[in-house]
Amino acid sequence: MKLSVTSLTKHYGAHVALQDLSIEVPTARVLCLIGPSGGGKSTFLRILGGLETPSSGAVSLLGEALPESADGLLTHRRRNGFLFQQFNLFPHLSALRNLTLPLEKVHGQNPTEALSTARAALDRFGLIDHADKLPSQLSGGQQQRVGIARAIAAGPRILFLDEPTSALDPEMTAEVLELIQELAAEGQNIILSTHEMGFARAVADHVAFLAAGHIEESGPPSQVFGNPTSPICQRFLSRVMRY
Amino acid sequence: MLSKQRLLNLAAALLILGGFAWLCVAVFTSLKDGDWNWSRPWEYRELLLRGWRTTILLSLGALAGSTLVGLLLLFGQRCGLPVVKWTCRLFLEFVRETPLLVQLLVGYFVIFAPLFSRTFESWGWNDKLVIGVILLSLFEGAYLGEILRGGVDSIPRAQWDSARAVGFTPFQIQRYVIFPQALRRVLPALAGQFVSLIKDSSLLSVIGVQEVAYQVKAYTSQTYGLEGYVPLVLGYLALTAPIAFISSRLERRFHHET
Repeated sequence: MKLSVTSLTKHYGAHVALQDLSIEVPTARVLCLIGPSGGGKSTFLRILGGLETPSSGAVSLLGEALPESADGLLTHRRRNGFLFQQFNLFPHLSALRNLTLPLEKVHGQNPTEALSTARAALDRFGLIDHADKLPSQLSGGQQQRVGIARAIAAGPRILFLDEPTSALDPEMTAEVLELIQELAAEGQNIILSTHEMGFARAVADHVAFLAAGHIEESGPPSQVFGNPTSPICQRFLSRVMRY
Repeated sequence: MLSKQRLLNLAAALLILGGFAWLCVAVFTSLKDGDWNWSRPWEYRELLLRGWRTTILLSLGALAGSTLVGLLLLFGQRCGLPVVKWTCRLFLEFVRETPLLVQLLVGYFVIFAPLFSRTFESWGWNDKLVIGVILLSLFEGAYLGEILRGGVDSIPRAQWDSARAVGFTPFQIQRYVIFPQALRRVLPALAGQFVSLIKDSSLLSVIGVQEVAYQVKAYTSQTYGLEGYVPLVLGYLALTAPIAFISSRLERRFHHET
């Protein structure tokens, strides 16, 4: 997965979320965004995932410029998967229906195909027993795993995960991280933002540290965690790694 | 403590029952001969039934009409064009801040009747009924639109994001994600609104729509009998009580689901 961003800026009215952000990732399977809350990780991910449009700047992902038109962005979203911190699932539909509905309506599968695709995706993550439950009947960790199953069911080129474990307790965090690691090991392209530094270090091929709307530090995990050059990144890491 | 509460409850029950009994006795003793004759409603059953059927027709027509108006107002208020948005808002405020009775009088005698009565009659339609349905639809639709808007607004932002993320088109987002959830949330309010609609249809007697309240008034002025009001009350209850019942059942079902 190749990513190239130059002078990306995003502002909402007077609020500047991303300020002149540039990053060059020649090749990576798993790209981790770390950094303080409010530093722009979510906004950056939402732009990469086609949920927001940049105010200015150029973004190229997998060697293609990010589309600008509404139709182009829709196609972009359909080819990739996106998971938020929480409330990903549609609460009025069963876990299974949460998967089959997009497969039918977005990816044009017929109901039989969609059912077998969805069941296979749930089965793969050990969720088949929960297929007929409503999201409210699942634990937070199960909900996120169903959310990931939905996001990868149609075979996305890139899976975007925006702090997928931030709303979970440690045990559920572990079950979701395990699943993400499994996907990474199977070769799924993943871009995620996270506060789980140990996970980022172990699973990422490339880590980017974002603060105040731009990239402070970027490189392989051994370099970013082992030998950061930016003072802000050094301070951040020394504080979060202390305990 | 508990037995004391039960005792108080019993006392309250007796008090209420006693009050009600006294009211009944007072009412029935004040009735004069000829006020209360149950052979007459049977004689006039055709008239009363015809009125009741008109009320049902009126309610069903206004149900469809107000749903249409409500949806138009919902989409109008979410429309990107400020002029459309503000026109809808202005209409809503006007409808909600003037009495239905006044709207019916003005709407019928000043606007619709002079403009359309002849046309409707030439088509063989009952102009009062059609205009009545339109006016009631506009009034109830305004409230319905606000209920629906509240429902849509109450769906959290995360649901819009998720729906966009799975690749739904704007129409699909509404159709599969927002609307089904919004509808579940507003169902009790919606049922209440439909009950109001049925009750409000009684006001259409002022523009001469021959629904059940109109017919009972006609009956009473012909017979000088007061018993006609009993089938009137029962006639409305027969329509509204089932809606309230079904709504509470559905509400319980959806409550478990989400």
